[in-house]
Amino acid sequence: MAHETEDTTHHPSFNQYVLIAIILFAITIVEFLLIWDRAGIVDHLGPSKIPLLVLLSAIKFAIVIMFYMHLKFDNRLLGSIFVAGLALAFLVGIAVISTFVGFEGEQRFYAAQNAVPYVEHEAEEESTTSSETATETTETTETETPPVAAGPVTFEISAKGEELAFDTASITADSGAEVTITFTNPASFNQHNLVIVAAGDKDAVASDGIPAGADNDYVQPGDSRVIANTKLLAAGKNGEVTFTAPAAGAYQFVCTFPGHNFTMFGDFTVK
Amino acid sequence: MAHAAEHEYTTTGLNHRKLLMWVFLGSDCLFFGALIATYMVYRGQSLVGPYPIDIIDVPLTTVSTFVLLMSSFAMVQALSATNADNKKAIVSWLLATAALGVVFIGFQIFEFNSFKNEGLTLGGNLFGASFFTLTGFHGAHVTLGIIWLVAMAILAAKGRVGSKTALDVELLGLYWHFVDIVWIVIFTLLYLIGGFDVGPAPISGG
Repeated sequence: MAHETEDTTHHPSFNQYVLIAIILFAITIVEFLLIWDRAGIVDHLGPSKIPLLVLLSAIKFAIVIMFYMHLKFDNRLLGSIFVAGLALAFLVGIAVISTFVGFEGEQRFYAAQNAVPYVEHEAEEESTTSSETATETTETTETETPPVAAGPVTFEISAKGEELAFDTASITADSGAEVTITFTNPASFNQHNLVIVAAGDKDAVASDGIPAGADNDYVQPGDSRVIANTKLLAAGKNGEVTFTAPAAGAYQFVCTFPGHNFTMFGDFTVK
Repeated sequence: MAHAAEHEYTTTGLNHRKLLMWVFLGSDCLFFGALIATYMVYRGQSLVGPYPIDIIDVPLTTVSTFVLLMSSFAMVQALSATNADNKKAIVSWLLATAALGVVFIGFQIFEFNSFKNEGLTLGGNLFGASFFTLTGFHGAHVTLGIIWLVAMAILAAKGRVGSKTALDVELLGLYWHFVDIVWIVIFTLLYLIGGFDVGPAPISGG
């Protein structure tokens, strides 16, 4: 039987190794310059940069496995084994990515629509009742009788413990009345705010508030749809907002912290 | 030149240990492939910051990438020295490779620490979770390689590494170069391409 001898004779020489190192270094510099366009060097490359970067890194990848790892000079079986693993990895990666692309880029919207608040199961005796209601119904239904007000009026609304929900389902006021809402955030981690909007506007307002960031309390500055809002409250804090009740109609109060708006809202009726 | 006693007869005609190393590297491709795919799926899906654009420092990581590439060069020199039975050169190149690896890990520790100070944590958002898992496992591979390199350097200093045991160094080299090529991919995807990702686009249809 013929057998392979340990392949040490075909290895590149010192100078060739130096040359390979210089090539690898040069490609890395080119890659860096390609993306470092803050100085305006290669802005015109635009979207073609990504395939170019992938190509350059693939070249580096190939150089290292062919020369530094001797695959170019070694037995083909070794290369086949490695390439098989690499190809499998690619296929797995493509499969995973396309699973999510199956939502046509709307997986975050899909996830947000189907989000349920995270509930800590604290006590055994409570878990049977509270966990069922918490996971199935996201809208709170505790206070069925809305407080009715005439003239200056104050409501006390709190976040419902650790849940992404308010403890109050609905409030009612007369149009033109001075309304003060004191908002308490008893959570140990989550941040919340309370924003008054017309019914139906809550998700759009919250969505537009995301880029505004925490510095703007997740409310787009100058957003005309926002009737009033509290500051973004850190865990354990409370805040207050006073405003004049708008024209009679259906309104809502909502937390616009990213993601909270889907479960954390209540009705505000103006008569 | 070759003595029959030094050769094992195998069905593939290849040394079992070398075959095993390549099988391992092939399977490690899957390991990193899964983590990279996870990163790509979660890319741009974080609802809260910090986002890559806020914290990724491309110039700094270009330097550490360069350091890792140079460590691969030192590694091939260590193998050449082993084949030439040059004990002093073996120890020097192995330690040089390890030292460059330590510098790379130093950069990573510095980077992780500054990211943490900027608010990026494993549990904070999807970017943090997928970033730290991927780069952390790569860092663990580098750390393991450093331990292997130092152990080999100690053996070499005792005169127990030479042309007759060159395969030991060659296998170490294969592992080390593999860690290098994984970083080539990570550097391109997470830093050069993904390093300028901003926050999420507003949810449409909501």
